[in-house]
Amino acid sequence: MRTLRPFLLPALVAIGSLLVVSMAAAGTPADDSAGPSRVFEVSQATPTPEVPLETAPPLPTPIAHRGDATSTGCVDCHAKVDARQAGIADEWQASIHAREGVGCADCHGGDPTSDEITVGMAQAGGFQGVPDREDTVGLCGGCHASAERMRPYQVATDQYSKYFSSVHGQRLLVAKDDRVAICTDCHCSHGVKPASDPTAAVYPLNVPGLCASCHADASKMQPYGIPTDQFDLYELSIHGVQLLEEQDLRAPTCASCHGSHAAKPPRSDEVVDVCGSCHTATQALYEESAHSRLEGVGPKCWTCHGTHDVSEPNESLFLHEGGVPDYLCATCHSPTDQSLRLEMDRFEDPADRRCDTCHHTRSLIYSQVEAIAGAVGGARDAYDTALLRIDDAAALGMIVADADVAAQEAMTELIKARAAVHTTKLTTISALTDATVVKAGEAEALANAKLADSDFRRQAMVVVIALIALNVLVLISLRRRLHAQG
Amino acid sequence: MTTDVGRSEAPGGAVGWVETRLHLGPFLNALLHVPIPRNAKTFYLGGITLFLFGIQVVTGTLLALYYSPTPDAAYESVLSITSDVSFGWLIRSVHHWAANLMILFLALHVLRIFVQAAYKYPRELTWLVGGGLLLITIGFGFTGYLLPWDQRAYWATVVGTEIAGGVPVIGPALLLLLRGGAEVSEATLGRFFGIHVLVLPLLLAGLLGLHLLFVHQQGLANPKYPEPRPGRPAPARPPERLKPFFPDYILDEVIAWYAVLAALVILASLFPAGLEPKADPLVTPEHIKPEWYFLAVYQLLKVVPETVGVVAPVALVLVIVVLPLFDRGEEVLPRRRPIAIACAVLLLVALAVLTFYGAQV
Ligand code: HEM
Repeated sequence: MRTLRPFLLPALVAIGSLLVVSMAAAGTPADDSAGPSRVFEVSQATPTPEVPLETAPPLPTPIAHRGDATSTGCVDCHAKVDARQAGIADEWQASIHAREGVGCADCHGGDPTSDEITVGMAQAGGFQGVPDREDTVGLCGGCHASAERMRPYQVATDQYSKYFSSVHGQRLLVAKDDRVAICTDCHCSHGVKPASDPTAAVYPLNVPGLCASCHADASKMQPYGIPTDQFDLYELSIHGVQLLEEQDLRAPTCASCHGSHAAKPPRSDEVVDVCGSCHTATQALYEESAHSRLEGVGPKCWTCHGTHDVSEPNESLFLHEGGVPDYLCATCHSPTDQSLRLEMDRFEDPADRRCDTCHHTRSLIYSQVEAIAGAVGGARDAYDTALLRIDDAAALGMIVADADVAAQEAMTELIKARAAVHTTKLTTISALTDATVVKAGEAEALANAKLADSDFRRQAMVVVIALIALNVLVLISLRRRLHAQG
Repeated sequence: MTTDVGRSEAPGGAVGWVETRLHLGPFLNALLHVPIPRNAKTFYLGGITLFLFGIQVVTGTLLALYYSPTPDAAYESVLSITSDVSFGWLIRSVHHWAANLMILFLALHVLRIFVQAAYKYPRELTWLVGGGLLLITIGFGFTGYLLPWDQRAYWATVVGTEIAGGVPVIGPALLLLLRGGAEVSEATLGRFFGIHVLVLPLLLAGLLGLHLLFVHQQGLANPKYPEPRPGRPAPARPPERLKPFFPDYILDEVIAWYAVLAALVILASLFPAGLEPKADPLVTPEHIKPEWYFLAVYQLLKVVPETVGVVAPVALVLVIVVLPLFDRGEEVLPRRRPIAIACAVLLLVALAVLTFYGAQV
């Protein structure tokens, strides 16, 4: 790490600024040759210093005009022009802008108090028509970045500055590339709705689909050479399933990790903080680990869990199943100076997200990994066995509430043990897996007692039924004798 | 054969000692004389219901020793009965199964009496009192279901009392009366417990005494021939041949009881009474299911307007209870009573279909 920095730092700064300068000069997006995209990926995987951001342009002043949103001059005519224009009028009517008194002229200029086209839409009177995409951000920012304007609504005013720090905003600013997302692409032009409105495109449940409407479109992404499979991966991930299928608003959308207005892929060295903003406890444990001490070059959340395709973790994440992988020095080390270097694309295949992808079988740490995998696997097995016994007993109609409680306690310990794997400390982990095994053992013993009890009941039942049968036989013979007499 | 128990020259020993003082002989003798036509076929259904009630009294008393009727303690006390108290599981499971069998045999008992037209003259009052017994037994089922205070108990009672609240005019008052407040709460549990262990047993015992007294006075009905009515020409029929109540009839009855006891032991051992998670008023389970004998009403409520769904079963029970008052024909053989039998078949099919669909999901 320390040896790496002096070389890598200036090199990447140079490449990065070259890229920005070339984009700015050509006014075209980066071409999709291997070169630039390679650099882009390295800059995710290794701690690259930021290319200095182009600062946001000064905020334009909001458009001054006569009248307000209650002046109906514009709508009176436009709603009658054609169905499209009528639709626009309807969209606006239903928008939060209409509700809060933001009217046509606030964005388009002109004089909404007049019913005369020559007056209302006169350029001399300040009519501006449809704003350019490039100007739109400033137009929105004119109000939305003003703390004074936004005060009554208690909404943030940092979207404008955040936007220009985003990949979208920087491209718009530096490369004058207006194909990037601007405010209206996500929030609509006329039908602006608050993010809390479930019908809004920016409502959390709708966000992945919104981002995917561009980012999953190969023709739109082709000029930038970036992948288009994020939505497909996310949709099947534990996060995607939780959000999209379970409608669980606690699950992260694209914006939770990339930011919304400040949208940008988190850097490798930011990932732990990004994931940790929800997975707080896990982050704290990770920060105790040997991995964390490697800082920039050490494995991060994505190394084992992936990025868009995070799946439910389990014990298979420890070691490759059957056969150790083909080790390449370049998996972990820079080919030039052998320093540690984990590339994200090396871990793209979920099957490669294993401890032994890096920790060689002959290394000292490998045996420690085996011990940790063994401890956690053993604890899981003990828990599973207890559950099977409990299911057996429950299937026999036994009440297993106490065994269930013990199993839940075992599960609590197992969850702690699994989380403690992030510390990479065998002693910490095995203390918790031992506790799991003890609790699971208690649960199993309780379930076994129920099974034994059920056996006893069946045997006792046979005896009692035999006694009843005997009684009945005696009564039947009594009956016979009675009938013989009668 | 003679069945005389007491004579003026009492036997010696303890029996004689008591007899010389109380002269119980003639009384017991009368008690054991019930006219039983030789061709009477009761299938012992009423007797089995009586036996099951006896089982409920014994097991219920034992359960009451350990049960606490408060929302804080009820669930735990039931849990402890099933896991800590020696043979508590057996007592609770037998109580659970005997309750179900009691409803089943009661229904069969009523069906037998209907098919044999034993509700007709002179047994109208026996049937009427029986109607009271039927309502009380259903009341036992409804109030007992809540006592374990688990999710199923709680929510079935929420729904059940809600249904009662749908009765026109008196519904809201009835709902409040049943729950003892707006919600199913501690007050509900308290009154359900009191009704289940005190009010209903006393009522049932009283009415049952009356019921059996009537049966004792009239003897069993002959399923082949109508009872001769005063002021009408007696139809031609062979002379009634009787069989002794004691020991012949009683012996068969006891054998039937043993068979039911065996069934109870098997059911309780192989399918012990379960317990769901503790009642949580804040977590509504996905499926709320009442006991099987309420499923038909439950299903009916899903397919017809609430008022109809509530009024129809109540009206039906009332019609059944007063049946002897309007069905006054003399015929007893089913094939001579096509309308009555057709109505019964229709009703049974409707109940079966509703119960079947109510049991789905
Ligand atoms: C707890 C409930 C009940 C018990 C323990 C009970 C018990 C009995 C017993 C022991 C008999 C003697 C004949 C036999 O064993 O079948 C009997 C007869 C009778 N029961 Fe019930 N019964 C109950 C409910 C009912 C109900 C609900 C009805 C009608 C609605 C009813 C109507 C009758 C009638 C009419 C007879 C006379 C039958 C005959 O003479 O053949 N009973 N009951």
